[in-house]
Amino acid sequence: MSDITQLFFDAAALGGIYAMAALGIALIFGVMNLVNFAHGEYIAFCVFALILPSTDAMSVMFLGRAPAIVLIPVILGLGALIAVASEMLVFRHMRNASPVAMMVGSFALGFVIQNTLLALYGGRPKAISLWPDLNMPVELAGASVPVLQLIVILTTLVVVTGLALLLRKTRIGLEMRAAAENFRMARLLGVRANVVITGAFALSGALAAAVALIMATQTGVADVRMGGQIMLVAFIATVIGGLGSLPGAVAAGFLIGAASVVLQAYLPLDARPFRDAFLYTLVIVSLLVRPQGLFVPKSARPRI
Amino acid sequence: MKHFLTAAALAMAAIPAAAEEDITIGFAIAKSGWMEAYDTPAAAAARIRIDEINANGGLLGRQIKWVEADTKTDRAQSAKAGLQLIDEGADMMIVSCDYDFGAPAALSAEAAGMNSFFLCAEDVKAGIQGVGPNSFSGSVLAAVQGATMAEWSHAERDARRGYVLLDTFIEYNKGICRGFDWMFPQLEGAEIVGRDTFKNDDASIASQITRIKSLDAEPDVIMLCSVIPGAAAAVRQIRAAGINSIILNGSAVDGSYWLNAVPDLSGFVLPVQGSIHGDDPRPEAEAFNVAFEKATGARPASSYAYPGYILMDLWAKAVERAGTLEGAAVTAELEKMDKEPTAFGVRSFSPELHHQNIAPMQIIEITDGKPAVISEWTISEPVPLDVLLSR
Repeated sequence: MSDITQLFFDAAALGGIYAMAALGIALIFGVMNLVNFAHGEYIAFCVFALILPSTDAMSVMFLGRAPAIVLIPVILGLGALIAVASEMLVFRHMRNASPVAMMVGSFALGFVIQNTLLALYGGRPKAISLWPDLNMPVELAGASVPVLQLIVILTTLVVVTGLALLLRKTRIGLEMRAAAENFRMARLLGVRANVVITGAFALSGALAAAVALIMATQTGVADVRMGGQIMLVAFIATVIGGLGSLPGAVAAGFLIGAASVVLQAYLPLDARPFRDAFLYTLVIVSLLVRPQGLFVPKSARPRI
Repeated sequence: MKHFLTAAALAMAAIPAAAEEDITIGFAIAKSGWMEAYDTPAAAAARIRIDEINANGGLLGRQIKWVEADTKTDRAQSAKAGLQLIDEGADMMIVSCDYDFGAPAALSAEAAGMNSFFLCAEDVKAGIQGVGPNSFSGSVLAAVQGATMAEWSHAERDARRGYVLLDTFIEYNKGICRGFDWMFPQLEGAEIVGRDTFKNDDASIASQITRIKSLDAEPDVIMLCSVIPGAAAAVRQIRAAGINSIILNGSAVDGSYWLNAVPDLSGFVLPVQGSIHGDDPRPEAEAFNVAFEKATGARPASSYAYPGYILMDLWAKAVERAGTLEGAAVTAELEKMDKEPTAFGVRSFSPELHHQNIAPMQIIEITDGKPAVISEWTISEPVPLDVLLSR
């Protein structure tokens, strides 16, 4: 029994990170058909904001020194800021461009952010000592679970519920849902396009910042390439969840995290290095069975 | 002022004439991109040796100068950088630290019949097996590092139950584990009680930790074959989970720059070619650290600066003995080197292997977040070639 509980917590923690990242991507896709490949770089940017810019090998904490009550809102705000700034500087000017052109634009933006980080911080990974106590395990239902994993699971639930409430109960939420269903029609009916899009980017950036805080606490390192793998998994989660579907992205994020943990736990040793190959085979199977995604939004229509 | 300008003009006019006599070393290294952090210190170390040789009257009575080309941490740019350096008259080429990024430049050097040295590659391919007969590496094979950890921990820490945790990210990691897997089970009473894999950029290694914790008893040592950042993340998660086994690693995690990731880390051991922490028992090694600080403004951040100095030293000795810069002749002299002394211990090459399959290593242990040399270890027999080449 405890094995299963342990597996559940391991899976939920990894899935929670993926779900949060996937949500950030799905939000933007929902309102403007943009797959924002710079999302991973937002994560790296927020992690690096914790330390002072310097190419020295030793890192010195910067924002990371602030107490949690200050640090969390500041980093979330910073994530929102870089996302909104990239919308204003790049994506706003591409609003009438094809989705493919926008996607290429997001790749370019990602390169710019990554290389700026390289120039400011150098290519060597940096150490970050952020809340090391959160990695201490607690015993729970026969499983040993780091406090951070519990926080990840809880945060994901809170974020998903909060977002659902925002989308259902507020005006901006209503406008976002309307924009996600049919952007042109929504605009014709008086939905404020700039507010909706800026809002979506701000939320998406804040989600990237949340992932960044979790990653920094979990791994203790900052690396310019650290957003890449999460971005890839999150993008796949939005695809198999059904592009544009927020609950789909969350569910698929959890699903991929769970599948990855189960494969790691049960694959024979020789096959374990190919865990991701098995994982992506499952993704292909899922797409073959349901090419439109597991959770298709009503607005589903041919995209990209 | 006028005289100064005249003198300067004369001096500049004199350079081309002198340049024909100079020996040119080409550096095809990353000056941008993530590899830069590894190439720059090793290249600076090679130049310290060049300056020393020049100050002592040069090589074959000629001064050494160097030219460089940026590989931009890119394989295609590496090939281009190699060709560019050949055009600029390089007599020997020093290429990027990592095999993947150095090999394209090294191959162009090989095609031109000149010697090439990888700054710090630790994969057996960086040499005859991957590039060709005139290619060498200045570092010590990853498998030697793993085998050193196995034999040392067995002898000095009574390690009997070993666990192997392999990060499948790069060939270097597999090399460390290959060395450990070869050495550890042949030691008396030692067995590998379990093994697992992870990926360097895994967001969490929770299920790997669950597997370690489900063993009957905690292993004596965990051979962690990984590099930063994944290694730091793994150590942080292993220690946080309350696993107190001694964690062994390869040289790649040397340097204190990542230690903040795991506050008050203890029981973490790695082998290095020399200590950057000022406690190397050999005065020559510490003298190099001081020279490095004088040249660059800071002490080396990791022991990966040393291979640059060592390779320049060995190559220059071989050139002196061969009396020529011609690639094959210098290679023949390098291959005759058997336990050749350097500031960082003895080095050997053979016609089969242009790499170190045995070398004296300083053992560094991190206690309460402080790294210190605790002993020196040389494995009892060289890692056999078939182990190095096994997949």
